[in-house]
Amino acid sequence: MTTPTRARLTTAVAIILIGVTQTVLVLESAHTHANGAFASQTTYLLYMLVIGWGFAGAGLYADARRPANATGRLMIAVGCAWLLRALEVSSNPVLFAVGSLLAPLAFAVLNHLLLAFPSGRLETRGRRWLARVGYVNVTVLQLAALLVTDTRAPYTACEDCPPNPLLISGSATAYGVITTLQSLAALVVLLGLSVVLVQRWRRASRALRRSLSPILITGALTVLLVPAAMAAAALDAEASADASLIVALTLFAAIPFAFLLGLLRSTLGEAEAVTAVVSRLGEASGGPALRDALAQTLNDPSLQVAYWVTEITSYVDTDGRRVALPIAGERTVATHINDGDERVAVIIHDASLEQGGNLVATIAAAASLTLRNERLGAELRVRVAELRASRTRLVAAGDEQRRRIERDLHDGAQQRLMALGMDLRLVRDRVDSNPAEAIELLDDSLQELREATAELRELARGIHPAVLTNRGLGPALKGLADRSPVPVLILETPQHRLPPAIESAVYFVVAEALTNAARYAMAQGVTVNVLHREGRVDVRVADDGIGGADSEEGSGLRGLRDRITALDGRVDMASVRGEGTTIEVTLPCA
Amino acid sequence: MGKTVLIVDDHPGFRASARRMLEANGYIVVGEAGDGGSALEAAGGLLPDLVLLDVRLPDVDGFDVARCLLAGPGPAPQIVLTSSHDFADLGEVVGISGAQGFIPKAELTGSALAELLT
Repeated sequence: MTTPTRARLTTAVAIILIGVTQTVLVLESAHTHANGAFASQTTYLLYMLVIGWGFAGAGLYADARRPANATGRLMIAVGCAWLLRALEVSSNPVLFAVGSLLAPLAFAVLNHLLLAFPSGRLETRGRRWLARVGYVNVTVLQLAALLVTDTRAPYTACEDCPPNPLLISGSATAYGVITTLQSLAALVVLLGLSVVLVQRWRRASRALRRSLSPILITGALTVLLVPAAMAAAALDAEASADASLIVALTLFAAIPFAFLLGLLRSTLGEAEAVTAVVSRLGEASGGPALRDALAQTLNDPSLQVAYWVTEITSYVDTDGRRVALPIAGERTVATHINDGDERVAVIIHDASLEQGGNLVATIAAAASLTLRNERLGAELRVRVAELRASRTRLVAAGDEQRRRIERDLHDGAQQRLMALGMDLRLVRDRVDSNPAEAIELLDDSLQELREATAELRELARGIHPAVLTNRGLGPALKGLADRSPVPVLILETPQHRLPPAIESAVYFVVAEALTNAARYAMAQGVTVNVLHREGRVDVRVADDGIGGADSEEGSGLRGLRDRITALDGRVDMASVRGEGTTIEVTLPCA
Repeated sequence: MGKTVLIVDDHPGFRASARRMLEANGYIVVGEAGDGGSALEAAGGLLPDLVLLDVRLPDVDGFDVARCLLAGPGPAPQIVLTSSHDFADLGEVVGISGAQGFIPKAELTGSALAELLT
């Protein structure tokens, strides 16, 4: 048996014994020193045991389930204080005095419990202050009142009470002042507590409200009805006072069960939750099993699980859709699941679950195998979607390229050849009648032919440069550099031939980067570096232009990205405004 | 006296060759236009007898230009469509455009034009 379990068992036995002792005490006592319905020993006993054992039992259960949370221990304290106050029925002056001193303690602990629920901590300075005022009221002021309480004097209205051994000097005035002070302090605490509870309710999320509502309803009604009963008693409206007190104490008795209900509705104990998640995962088949299991176990239908996908530097759900993380101040928060420095997943859940400490992270750790599997699935779906999109883009880019070539041919060389045909037909008609004009027309035709040939050569180079096929990357890049309107410095290129697909990719990356540097970046110079080492080709093209380029915007860059991705490579672009643009490409190449 | 002609084509080299061919065959070239908009404007001012109209223009389609010219308030010119494409590439649209006919650029000669206009 573990030490905490043994401690709880000992406490349980002690509380049962206190209850039994108090029962004997009440049964043997000639009177209860109470008024109205509570003058009856049976009624007195019933409320003493139901409230005392109710709080203590519920507290022990809560403590066993959530030992890190002080709520359980506070409930046990309320139960004990309530049982011990029954000492006041004793005819023994000392026991009577102890019981009288402890009489209001249970309410102060209840106040502490309500202020601290559900985290078990007094979270703000205001709440700590309210709890302290409550304790001072039932200890310091209660002792002060007892020092001037002459139980035999009429002003105490204590019938058949034994003499007060704590009495220093009986004074109706002092007694009146102190008890008024006590009432005022109690009123302040009640008002403060009401404000805290209303505020907490208003700020609570849906999940937190579900766990708060049973306690807040019973607690609020109790704290309203106890002063109502006291006021009725002060006005000598005995029947009203009696009824109010019975309702108030019945509600008081219901509080521990409301706490239990709240506890069941709120976060579970870690061990229990882990068991629940793991068993739910075992029953699940397909779909977002982990999300569903976590949502059910943590009682948060809005819960989302998202997985980190490095390729797109984003979190995605199991269907591969991107998921945005909540921003600070929202009712949902993100619990990050990392493996060392590596991001694995994030669980987006109701903020109230954070009050369960590391509950979410602990459960996620228990389900890490499923987490990893689902992450792999999500990653795969993202890759498939990306592959599909890039395949579509590649096909579209191919079509677009063919359309462009057709347009270039039609607008350029084809028009020149048509005109050339017309001129040659005219030459044929004139060659006999006007040879001089025919020769002039032939000269024009030759010029047209040269221009058509040049246009065709340029177009062919755009489709696939012959120099790349014949002589490789170095001379092809030099050709690009020579034709670029921006000065280009080539630092290094591989001296040997690379696979044709790699050479093409590198060539078109550099060509696109140089076109952009000249057309958009207003660059004064560009450096190009191509290295083949350690099984990969690294390409770096950096210009000194205006920067601020968007890799998602230009279809040229997106097309390049698709081409590089198809070869299992990656493209990185840095383009800070005012700092130029650098494109880095890495391609696997044995 | 020969017919007055407006040449509409976005390629200046082709326009120059067409002008030489037309003038050699007795036509009077009164104007040239590089796109549909300026073609409609020039036709409105010059009132040519014949418009040699390229099908593919940078702004509007040659068929649309033909329809506008024929629907205009003044006397409608004769329209001959040309293209670097073959007749088979264009099909029925030539027939419904209201143009006199179509001559591929590769076959554009004085005699082909005369044959179409008679």
